[in-house]
Amino acid sequence: MGNSVIARRLGLLAVLALCVVLLALVPYLPSYYVRVVDSILIYIILAVGLNLVVGYAGLLDLGFIAFYAVGAYAYALLASGQFDIHLPFIVILFIGAAAGAIAGVLLGFPVLKLRGDYLAIVTLSFGEIIRIAINNADDLTNGPQGIAGLDRASLFGLPLTTPVHFYWLLLVLAIIVCGGVYYMERSILGKAWRALREDQDVVRGLGINTTTLKLLAFALSAAIGGAGGVIFGAFQRFVSPESFTFQESLLVVLIIIIGGVGNIVGVIAGAVVLVVLPEVLHFAAQYRLLIYGVVLVTVIVLRPGGLVSPRFNLGFIIRKVRTLWLSPSKT
Amino acid sequence: MALALENVSKHFGSLVAIRNLSLSFDVGSIYSIIGPNGAGKSTVVNMIAGSYSVTSGTIRLGATALNQLPKHRIAQLGVSRTYQNLRLFDGMTVLENLEVCFFPQSWLTFLTGAKRLSKAERLEICHACLAEFHLSDVADVLAGDLPYGRQKILELARAFVTQAPIVLLDEPAAGLNHTETKDMAAMIAGLKREDRAIILVEHDMDMVMSISDRIDVLNYGELLCSGTPDLVRTNERVQEAYLGTTEELDDIRKLAQSRRAQGGLRANAGIVRH
Ligand SMILES: Nc1ncnc2c1ncn2[C@@H]1O[C@H](COP(=O)(O)OP(=O)(O)O)[C@@H](O)[C@H]1O
Ligand SMILES: [Mg+2]
Repeated sequence: MGNSVIARRLGLLAVLALCVVLLALVPYLPSYYVRVVDSILIYIILAVGLNLVVGYAGLLDLGFIAFYAVGAYAYALLASGQFDIHLPFIVILFIGAAAGAIAGVLLGFPVLKLRGDYLAIVTLSFGEIIRIAINNADDLTNGPQGIAGLDRASLFGLPLTTPVHFYWLLLVLAIIVCGGVYYMERSILGKAWRALREDQDVVRGLGINTTTLKLLAFALSAAIGGAGGVIFGAFQRFVSPESFTFQESLLVVLIIIIGGVGNIVGVIAGAVVLVVLPEVLHFAAQYRLLIYGVVLVTVIVLRPGGLVSPRFNLGFIIRKVRTLWLSPSKT
Repeated sequence: MALALENVSKHFGSLVAIRNLSLSFDVGSIYSIIGPNGAGKSTVVNMIAGSYSVTSGTIRLGATALNQLPKHRIAQLGVSRTYQNLRLFDGMTVLENLEVCFFPQSWLTFLTGAKRLSKAERLEICHACLAEFHLSDVADVLAGDLPYGRQKILELARAFVTQAPIVLLDEPAAGLNHTETKDMAAMIAGLKREDRAIILVEHDMDMVMSISDRIDVLNYGELLCSGTPDLVRTNERVQEAYLGTTEELDDIRKLAQSRRAQGGLRANAGIVRH
């Protein structure tokens, strides 16, 4: 104990306070910036969800955006004039998550026997099939025109209309999703997933049904995607198949790869980079994919593991904070 | 509980790896399966554990036919194993390699938590196991970072941590040096229990002869001889098939010595020292 410990504790407090202040200041930014932050938060939620499958269970899913679409259309169909159904936002949030999970299991059952490239191809097709089905199901979804004029959402009596409202909702949800996934990662389920990623046959030899294990990853991740989609629908108040192209699936996968596979902190960093970059370079909007490509290649060449080192993860940060606080002599 | 192979055969295309093999193993003993390279020892282990399907015949655990069941079901019924080539979860810690064995085995247990070990119970069992296998000091080290000898021991620990009644060990001493092999033999001998059958595939004859209750000798997929170490050691057909003629014997002896000098694999010819 001494001055240095006190200084470090103060430093820690300062960092935490800075984070809180920055997050609290976002609502006072011009609307455009709030929208960018909202977008970052949505992609954090999506990428952390997909990361369950890609990063933890080690299964490359290139059709993730399909679950997002399922959630968005759940809101569009259940809170609009389309069928004159107007369910509350919170109810649809759960329905969207459940629908996503069901879609995940439906996709999972037939494809989980596949490995590696084959799985990637089939999931990619699945994403496209869902989009095309939405595009063609005119009676249900209005096809390519999409569904407009979705209900204004509200949550517990609070309106959810402006980007600032959604900022708070997304922030809370992102924290819940990150916390929940972090908890899962540390539970025995997370350990089983990691083992699965290393050697599936040995995992089966330990008496673990690997199909169940993979289905669980698919279902949980799809539920997160579905919930994200509901928020997206409520935010845009308009959905159309265009929002759910393969490019979007790719973006979420890129966020994971560029940030750091299997690492929540990495995924957050990846989302920030890949959402902010096109905004900064918006004058080069038509080169968006090219920019992603360049970023991907640069990261893979310079930092093959992603921007954030696997060691710098949520567990590391929490341990650091804890030791500094409880037994600073050890640090 | 008894494990029985009844007229089991295994073909790989035109290759007959195991031909009409019948063997039974009861809890309370250590069984060794020996035989030259390619005799079919690992194939037997793989068939019991469900990694290979059987071409014909039945494998029973008690009254249950194992050979129709998926691999994870077989493991759940109490068959655990090690692999001839190490297959640890290298990116996980030593402790985690054991913990993962306690993943709830059905949806029901997973969701309801019934019969499910609490985290504290799980950790207690795993730490006790680490202590038993002298691995406590490396509990938080990544399995892939351990020296080879300790990796072999960790794989052994992983096979025993769930108290499976049938434990299959495929060459636990392969690649170990003399001292390590002796330690391994003592360790396995100490794991013998009334409610457990240990089935050992091993080339190190000192080890096999000293700890086995019964030895089954395989040659070209067929059972050549089966009995106590003394019986097998003096059996002429074993001497012939397993060791070849006397000239070959000399060659094998030399080979064995050179391999031992390199600290490499245990030679097949260890038996000649008896
Ligand atoms: N998966 C496989 N595919 C084809 N042949 C195999 C396979 N596994 C084993 N064999 C063959 O079966 C025979 C027995 O092999 P194995 O059981 O590994 O022998 P060992 O007694 O040395 O453990 C060998 O001829 C081997 O080449
Ligand atoms: Mg073998």
